[in-house]
Formats: sequence, structure tokens, C-alpha cells
Amino acid sequence: MQPILKINLTCGKTEPWLIPADWQKQYIGGASLGARILYDSLTRELDPFSPEAPLLFLTGPLTGTLGPSVGRFVVCGKSPLTGIWAESNCGGFWGAELRFAGFDGLWVSGKADHPVYLWLNDSNLEIRDASSLWGMETYDTRDAVKAELETPSAKVLVIGPAGEQGVLYAGMYCDHGRSAGRTGLGAVMGSKNLKAIAVHGTTKPPLADAERYAVIRSQANRELKEDNEAQVLHDLGTSGVADYSEYIGAMPIKYYHRGSFPEVDKISGSTMAETILVGKSACHGCVIACGRVVELEAGKRQKGPEYETVEIFGPNLLHADLNAVTHLGDLCDRYGFDTISAGNTIGLAFHLFENGILTEKDMDGLTLNWGDGKVIELLVHKIGRQEGIGVLLGQGSRLFGRHFGAEEEAVQVNGLEVACHDPRGASGMALSYATSPRGACHNQSDYFFVDWGHNEPVLGIETFDRHGGKEKSANVAIHQNWRTVNNALVMCIFAMVPPETTLELINASCGWNLTLSELLAAGERGWNLKRAINIRMGLTGANDKLPKTLLEPVPDGNSAGFVPDFPAMLESYYEARDWDPKSGKPSPERLNALGMTEVSRDLWG
Amino acid sequence: MAPEFPSLEWLQVLQEKLNHDDHYAEVAKNWEGDMVMIVDPQGKVVEQQNFYFDLWHGKCKRVEMNIDLDSQKPAFTLRAPFENYTAILTGKIDPMAALMTNKLHVKGSLAYMMRNVPTVLDFVRCAKEVTGDNI
Repeated sequence: MQPILKINLTCGKTEPWLIPADWQKQYIGGASLGARILYDSLTRELDPFSPEAPLLFLTGPLTGTLGPSVGRFVVCGKSPLTGIWAESNCGGFWGAELRFAGFDGLWVSGKADHPVYLWLNDSNLEIRDASSLWGMETYDTRDAVKAELETPSAKVLVIGPAGEQGVLYAGMYCDHGRSAGRTGLGAVMGSKNLKAIAVHGTTKPPLADAERYAVIRSQANRELKEDNEAQVLHDLGTSGVADYSEYIGAMPIKYYHRGSFPEVDKISGSTMAETILVGKSACHGCVIACGRVVELEAGKRQKGPEYETVEIFGPNLLHADLNAVTHLGDLCDRYGFDTISAGNTIGLAFHLFENGILTEKDMDGLTLNWGDGKVIELLVHKIGRQEGIGVLLGQGSRLFGRHFGAEEEAVQVNGLEVACHDPRGASGMALSYATSPRGACHNQSDYFFVDWGHNEPVLGIETFDRHGGKEKSANVAIHQNWRTVNNALVMCIFAMVPPETTLELINASCGWNLTLSELLAAGERGWNLKRAINIRMGLTGANDKLPKTLLEPVPDGNSAGFVPDFPAMLESYYEARDWDPKSGKPSPERLNALGMTEVSRDLWG
Repeated sequence: MAPEFPSLEWLQVLQEKLNHDDHYAEVAKNWEGDMVMIVDPQGKVVEQQNFYFDLWHGKCKRVEMNIDLDSQKPAFTLRAPFENYTAILTGKIDPMAALMTNKLHVKGSLAYMMRNVPTVLDFVRCAKEVTGDNI
């Protein structure tokens, strides 16, 4: 492995730090390794906005190679939105460039006394003044930093005004609108007066057996190009599945209160492909190219929205205007905040308004009628500028609901807003959301794909009925373990690479001889470590729950009347995980079997 | 007795089914596009076979077995080895699962296909119903 560069913004001191070799083999890299590195730092008392709060940018052992969709990196820390473990991974080219610069990660702590940005150029780090960049939107910041550095090929990770102003779900942005959007780590970056991190490098990432690796990754990429799902993603983008998601009742509609949206075709990836799409974009070394390039005005190319943005600003708000949704996604990117959390929280406002809990007086004089694009855009601006009701909306749905005495109406888990895969349409998502270590997250286990039919027999992942119950609980746990491997690599979950191929890539890259079961155990280890971090930060088994809305049936669509049998599913899940039903802690036996004796001692004494 | 799959009789019975199934007629009322199912050799199928369907607005106007794939280019192509079709037509594997796990390959406008998933699924339902266990 390459070293991690520790940077203290308070004093400007930097220091390369080598990751213990056994940690890498136990946790692989990315988010799991991040959890190991930050295990001692993330305490219940830690204020995410304090100078002491760490911000860890990590790559994985495949990042920067030409492996299948492995150009990602992850940011880890304590979330200001949820108060628990935070991780958010991001595509683009920044992660690969960081490895080209000779580092596998950056560990930032402290707080600069004025706005700064970092310039890492082939292992040389400078801390530069960013006063002129403060207040600037994300794309402009990226371009301004590149111009100042006179290095067009530099890759720049930035925050927008939202991160500077402490919007609790502010993200980080790089390249062609790629984002580490979730859990609010952009606000942590802003709290450190850190506006951007530019990197440029000229070395190749280390590979233990480069020749073998090249053969495996070439074959993997060839197969990926022929994969049906990859072809849908390439041709239609991630919102290519919108029609099917609506068809089975797995789409958030009217803030998760309806199950059918007849206008879905107006906002789907198919329609985007036939109307505003003018190009596609890819992250480092990716053959899928799910990114969309669209034109809303002739000659003005911009990023097109992905599935989550389309759904959360579309059907979630009964808003069937693809151009408007595209514009809203672009606004969020420029201000620098997460579209899922923003659209979800705005949805909550519409829902509370409809039910008389909010009035025009609460909403700065605005009348909230479902589908009113002008009002939705005004609210997005208010969040980005932190004006009026935008201040409260910028704190996320849990605090927004709590402020108006309606926290139970917020569709969130442990403070993170539920994404756009309704468990009433794909029941496995009930456990995915309830037990995810960062709150209601679809990237810790996109189990809806399994519920739709994507099994992995070699891992023991079967497909059960999409409305099944506890029989799929153990399956969800395996899937989470596998996705934890993905998030450690950091490999895009859209790349449906066979697990055996992923294993071969890791072994060739790291010079290991892991088996598939050992790799899966590394995933389970990472999952349990994040669980342990959260338990030390105050979570218990009582936090493994779903918002009440998702446990009430929708009246229409192909999942009408169904609710997951969540208590039975959770009980069975605990058994599969060997977690203590009372405390929610992983059992000492399980932790010891995974080689986590130190964690076992911390949790159980 | 159900017609044997794959065979010309099976193709003709399926055409009849498609033309008299009220649910298919409703679900597929907007479908416009011909399709060919290519069965690659495997098991009892020793040579590649194909089955052509001219599908239009909830009806199947014409069928043909073993069209010349070099000269005719249907809008959609489904392709799989015999045993994968067997698994789909006997209900052992869901058609969406077959697509997602590459047991069934599809070519044609994916925009049209994704927009019309219910039609595709109902076509498969009709095919399953006429096939029965006679494979």
C-alpha cells in the first residue's frame, strides 16, 4: 500500500502515515479500512464540526487501475446529519489521481484560520489561500482552482456554499458532477475552512502482479460491456429502471404515500435518452458510462440527473417535468448538497403542509401544492442560500419534522433520508435501510436488485419473492457483507462483476491468496466494525427500525396493500448476524470468530 | 396436450394464444415491433433455431420459424441457450431474473423495452401458459 497523508489544518503540519499491513488484509481498503483507522477517534462526544473531527479520504487497492468500475474513493468521518458513522463514496477521476500522486488517502484534521484549499502535486502538498473562492458554486470552484494552478489535468474535489454554511447534508463534488453526496461530510469540510482539494500525479498505482491483473481486468471489462444491466445503464442511465420501479411499486411517490405514478414515462431514462440526452460520461476506467450529458438549452451541455435525483424531485413530489428535475439536480450540485436528502425533506414539507401541520406562515408565505415546480425550485434556492425556511430544510427531515412536532412523519432512518427504493415494492430494502450503518442507505445494500432477480449463487445470495419476509433475512446479511467489500475496494455497485472475478482482481493487486469466503468475512468484519462504532456512539437495537410511513400500505399500484413483516424479518436478521436481540451488539463469539477481539472487549468488557 | 418447445406447432399455438388473450391485448395495446427468439444449441436442440413474431398493438400478426437472420432484422432479439429458455418457460426462473443475470440476452431499443416491461412480461406469461411441461 501507499501511505496516507495526514494533514493538520490548524498548524499546517503534514505527515505520511503507513497503514498497518494486517489492517489492510482484514479490511481491504475504502470504507472498511476507514472505519478501522477512525475507530478510536469517533466517539459519542465528538462534535463533527469541531477541529478535532477527522475527515478521511480513502481509496481502495484497485482504485486508479483500469479494473472494472474501480475509480472511486470514499470519505469517512462522523456525520453532522445523523451523529453516527459517515461514509460517502464518489466516482469521477479524483480518487485515481490521488493514487497517481503517491497516496492511498488523506487524513485531514484541525481547522484553518481562513479559507484554504490543498494542492497535492506528485506527493508535494501546499496549503493555499481560498478566500477568493469562498461562496463560489461547485463547478466554478473546480474551474477556478484549475486555472489558478495552471494545471488543467488536476482533479479537484470541492464544496459549495452549502458546505460552507453548514447545510447538514452538504456533499463534495468533483469532475463531471460526481458527488460524495450523502451524510453531510461536505459540511464537515466547510467547518474546517477547507474549500477544495486539488490533486495531480504521474505515478502508477502499485500492483503485486500487474501482468495477471491486466489479463483479468481486460476479460472483466469485456464481459461487463455485454452485461444486460450495464447496457441499460449505458443506453438509458441509472433512471432507465424508473419504469420498472414504478411498475412494481418500489418508487417514492407523493412522499411515499402512493404506489402508482402514471406519468412516469415523462421522467424516465428512456424519455431522457429520446429527448434531452446529447452524450454520456464515465468515471475513471469505467466501460459502463452511466453518466448523462444533456442539453436543456441549445448548445449548453450539462450533467443529466441520475435515478435518485429524478425520483426524489419527480414522482416523490408528483412532479413530472424532466427538464425541471434536471435543473433542480443541477442547482443542488452547484450549491453542493445531496439531492436525496433535499428532495426527501422538501417532500416532508409538502406532506405536512397538505395535512395542515405547516402553513404558509411557516413556509415564508409559500403555498405548497404537489407538483408545483416553481415552489420546489424556490425551496432549493432557500436551502442553498440558507434563507428563511431553507435553514430548517437544510437540517434534514428528522430535525425539520421534529421542529414542527411531526418527527414520526419523516421518512428517514437514524437521521438519513430514505432513498428511492420503497421496501413495500422490494421487501429486502426494509432490512437494508433499518440496519445500514449510516442510516437509510441503498448503497450499503441495493437489495432491490436481488428482489428483482439478480442473485449470486456463488455467494449464497438467492432471489426470494419481492414481497417475501423473514426467509430472506440471512440473504440480506450476505448481500450487505458483499456490498461492504464493494465499498472497501471502492468498486461501483453498478458493475455487476462476478464475485470470483473480483476476488482474482484483489489477489492479483495485493499479492494475496484470499478465498471467496475469506473475502466475504472481510465484508462482515467491516459491517460489524461500523456497527460497533455506532453502538459506542449511542445506537442500540431500538435504532433498527423503519419510519411508520413505510409500514403502512399504499393504496394503489402493484404493491398496494402490502407491508413487509418487519419484526419477523429483523428477528431473523439478528439470528443470521449473531447479534444480541437486547442490545443490538454483535455477539462476542461472532466478533472473536472474525478476529475482532479488541472490539469485543470494547463492547462487552 | 401442450405443444413441444421448440417447434413450429409451439410457435403457432403461441400466436393463437397472443391473439385471443384479453390481458395481453390490453397490456400490449401500444406495442409496435417484431421480435425474434433465438434458441442456441444445447441439450436436445442441436442446431440454432429461431422463432419470429410480428407483434402489433396487442396482436401477433405473423409468425415464422427459422427466418434468415442475415436478411431480416427484427426490432428486438431475445437470445439464450435452450436450457435457459426451458427454465423461463417452466417458471423455474423469472424473466426479469433471466435478463438481470444474463441468462437471456436482449438486443434492440432498450428505451422501448424498459418502457414496456409489462408487455414483455405478459408475452412471457402467454408463452409459459402454452408450453406447460412439454419441454
